[in-house]
Amino acid sequence: MKYSEIDVAVIGSGPAGMAAAIKAKEEGAEHVLILERQEQLGGLLHQCVHNGFGLFYFGQDLTGPEYGHRFAEKVRDSGIEVLLETMVTRISADRQITAMNNREGPLNLRSKSIVLAMGCRERSRGQLNVPGTRPAGVFTAGAAQRLVNVEGFVPGKRVVILGSGDIGMIMARRLTLEGVEVKAVVEILPYVGGLTRNEVQCLHDFRIPLLLEHTVTQINGEQRVEAVTIAKVGKDKKPINGTEQVIECDTLLLSVGLIPENELSLMAGVELDPLTGGPVVDHWRETTIPGIFAGGNVVHVHDLVDNVSWEAEIAGAWAAKFAQKGRLEKERKIILKPGRNIRYVVPQAISTQNDVTLYVRVKDMEENVQLKAGDILVQSLRVVKPGEMLRMDLSYSQLSQLKEEAAELIIECERRR
Amino acid sequence: MVEEKVICVGCPLGCRTTLRIDHHGDVVKITGYKCKEGRQYVVEEYRSPVRIFTATILTEKSAKPLLPVRTNRPILKSKLKEATLAIARVKAKPPVRVGQVILPNLLNSGADVVATDDLLE
Amino acid sequence: MGQMETEVLIIGGGVLGVVVARELSRHKVDVVLVEKEADFGWGSTKTNMCIVCQGADTLEFRPEYHRSKLAWDSMPLMEPLCQELDVPFKRVGELALIRNNEELGKFQKLKSRAEKIGISSHKFLDQETLRQMEPHVTRQAIGALYDPNIAIVDPVRLTIALVENAGQNGVKVMRETEVVNISQKVNEFEVETNRGSIKCRFIVNAAGTSVDKIARLVNADDFVLYPIKGYVGILDKNLGDFIKHEIHMRPDVPGQMNILTPSVHGNLFFGTTMQPARRGDYSTTRRIAQIGIQNVRKIIPDLSEREIIHSFAGFLMFRNWEVGWHECVVQSSRKVPRFISLCIGYPGVSAAPATAREVAELLRREGLTLEANRSFNPFRKAPPVFNKLSEEQQKELIAKDSRYGHVVCRCETVTEGEIVEAVRRGATTLDGIKFRTRAGMGRCQGGFCTPRVVKILARELGLPEEKITKKGRESRLLLHKSKELIEVQI
Repeated sequence: MKYSEIDVAVIGSGPAGMAAAIKAKEEGAEHVLILERQEQLGGLLHQCVHNGFGLFYFGQDLTGPEYGHRFAEKVRDSGIEVLLETMVTRISADRQITAMNNREGPLNLRSKSIVLAMGCRERSRGQLNVPGTRPAGVFTAGAAQRLVNVEGFVPGKRVVILGSGDIGMIMARRLTLEGVEVKAVVEILPYVGGLTRNEVQCLHDFRIPLLLEHTVTQINGEQRVEAVTIAKVGKDKKPINGTEQVIECDTLLLSVGLIPENELSLMAGVELDPLTGGPVVDHWRETTIPGIFAGGNVVHVHDLVDNVSWEAEIAGAWAAKFAQKGRLEKERKIILKPGRNIRYVVPQAISTQNDVTLYVRVKDMEENVQLKAGDILVQSLRVVKPGEMLRMDLSYSQLSQLKEEAAELIIECERRR
Repeated sequence: MVEEKVICVGCPLGCRTTLRIDHHGDVVKITGYKCKEGRQYVVEEYRSPVRIFTATILTEKSAKPLLPVRTNRPILKSKLKEATLAIARVKAKPPVRVGQVILPNLLNSGADVVATDDLLE
Repeated sequence: MGQMETEVLIIGGGVLGVVVARELSRHKVDVVLVEKEADFGWGSTKTNMCIVCQGADTLEFRPEYHRSKLAWDSMPLMEPLCQELDVPFKRVGELALIRNNEELGKFQKLKSRAEKIGISSHKFLDQETLRQMEPHVTRQAIGALYDPNIAIVDPVRLTIALVENAGQNGVKVMRETEVVNISQKVNEFEVETNRGSIKCRFIVNAAGTSVDKIARLVNADDFVLYPIKGYVGILDKNLGDFIKHEIHMRPDVPGQMNILTPSVHGNLFFGTTMQPARRGDYSTTRRIAQIGIQNVRKIIPDLSEREIIHSFAGFLMFRNWEVGWHECVVQSSRKVPRFISLCIGYPGVSAAPATAREVAELLRREGLTLEANRSFNPFRKAPPVFNKLSEEQQKELIAKDSRYGHVVCRCETVTEGEIVEAVRRGATTLDGIKFRTRAGMGRCQGGFCTPRVVKILARELGLPEEKITKKGRESRLLLHKSKELIEVQI
């Protein structure tokens, strides 16, 4: 059947996967197949009932499902093939894909190119090592979001949220509007982990107590959560003895970090960047394995879904070209390295022959800074925060200022004098 | 003379502005903003803060327990909790399409509650 | 339940209770087993780090220790038992690291003493050989004492397999049934539980952390047990190949232990402390976690705290802890006839097969007639583990039941078919599904699959999702339905 003649196979149908597939079709790929493990296209968008999606991509303030709907319609209209409720269990460097569903059982497919668009998963309690007992009532914020917004359940009625990442803050609001008492959002840093917009519209709006420089030191309750103990932390982020407080609650939500989901990437031998948790990619979004591309949260955790789709489109476009030509002609590449106060930069390699957009996160909050690529001053900013990803646009003419032999470019965040 | 602090969330900068309001309730001075859109945003945010209301409603005769909804226009921030109550008893029945009005003129705000996802079965 | 009558009542569905149940089912004996939790092996059994110390303890073996003898006698029995029950058993071997000449001297003494009583499998390895066998091991080790016999099992799977086989052979098993009181009558006991009363002639008290409490109900207790708390950490599966053997190092601080082992499923397990603690307090602490990872890095320096995906604490009951060595309780009560208590803090899992036989013998001496059950079937078939099947077998299975094609737990590749089968075999809780299928034991610790597993449990059990619990009793997962709280709170 069609399974042996796939040009571009896209794994995942969230805002990255759908965008990549549509772009691949637009760039001329004939057989584009999306493999999605859930029962419908859209990935996590269905559970993100709040707005803030598409402000830049569509110029409108949409909710997650609306944003997904636009792309899903285009997928349907583009002749892209879709396999739903199909879990990819293995991929290889030569683009063989093993997948599984309950209609056809194990499937073996081969594609000329693959776009990885698996998104990310949440850091769990086990990884955080929160001491205490192991009662029912501890959920990651995303899992709770699914329960509340899709499954029709509210996990508890007195909730503490650990972590002020965007999902945590969004859930603080969502739960409040479902009648839950959100007793506190506890954040280990001296500032909120997610977007300021969420701090205002989720926490301030509902007067939800935000405890900065605090962490949960213990979970109590044998069967179900009964309370959590929180404490203030010092500059070393370790709890300060004597500052413990017990907050009675029946639910603890964890919003403490997202990790790009790269199980499959590792199977194919794709090299991951320990700084992002995702594949090392060049500005065509090709990974270290030729023919395997990646875009979206699987590469690095984004804040705005618009950037997820744009990035995935790059991956989709070049995956289509790869499928047509069998390989990509690439000019000399420069490796980008994170310098002062830069946690990571994506892509990790670029060519100097095109305009390029870099995505960057800082390590620490700073005010009055300049973002530089080598000697090139790209942007001055009043404030930068790790929770808000930054774009650095480099033009071809700026890049051509670089020395001929330069193999490396340091991206850094400098204090402005 | 009263001082109000308002964080502008018009863009990710999140400028922290200060508004001085006289005893008539007029804004007489604004400091801390970086652009004219921001200036306008914080004044409106002070005078009459509004929000897009997003939520879910229960369904009946459907395989899916919930339908996600939104208001098609912002409503007064002070009405958010009332809005939650207003939709708590509403039930959607398939078929519903994205954009379909579920509850017109929520709380007399002029905003309709519309579906943000399809509910086809 | 109301009123029930049986010959032998086994209190406790941990590895010891169930192994005795299976042993007795070889005979024509009426047996009822009661377990207070929603599933089996949730007490001390699961605190075992999956090592079958067929030898880990052999250096310290003394024939006069009852527990040593039971472990020693169990050695040839465990592998065949696992084969009969269709549960994983892997001989990984053990390395006891030697850091200096003083440790070398200690080990040499222990080895020669072990040889005197016939234990001859240990071998000294030099640094080079050690490094070849385990390239990631610390450079501080100058060698190791190697025992190729040590094996690993999954203690909870083993327990479930034993109880299933016992059930196949006629044992009646009741979960969520807790013994509240026992009255001694002339020739029988009347046992009150939370679900009715049971009359029986013999009692096998295998109640783990409650063994002494149960014994006290009939004043049969003439032993003192100390609750010793152990902390276990589980590391990511991507480290699965980091080490091939069970490795341990003599602890620097008494009361600590330092063991790192692969598990049969591909994770790494480490064990940290063994300290007397308040019974019933299952909490872990930050300090213990730090000690754990610090210790483990003495063995494998490349490991980091970030690799921990889960950790928990549990209790092992030791007798005579204060004397420094620890014995077990496997005895008929001297005060009360037909009442056998059994509790082996360590090595409980390893000693199980021989303990079962000994308990059967103790019962016989107390008057139980052991007539052979001619229809006893020692074989139990495990449910299919989908990701271990060949593609052909997978296709076949999906053709029979398409739910095997629906992957629910992404991290461990567990299918809906396996979850349904686990429910069919008795799982009623999220943790029950976890231990039986591994759904929720992977990297994301249930983040993706939990809502789906809850749905399947609800559907298969015919219960509303709000009634589904994590581990039985009060541990419901979903306390409210959408909109339920709105009128009240807002």
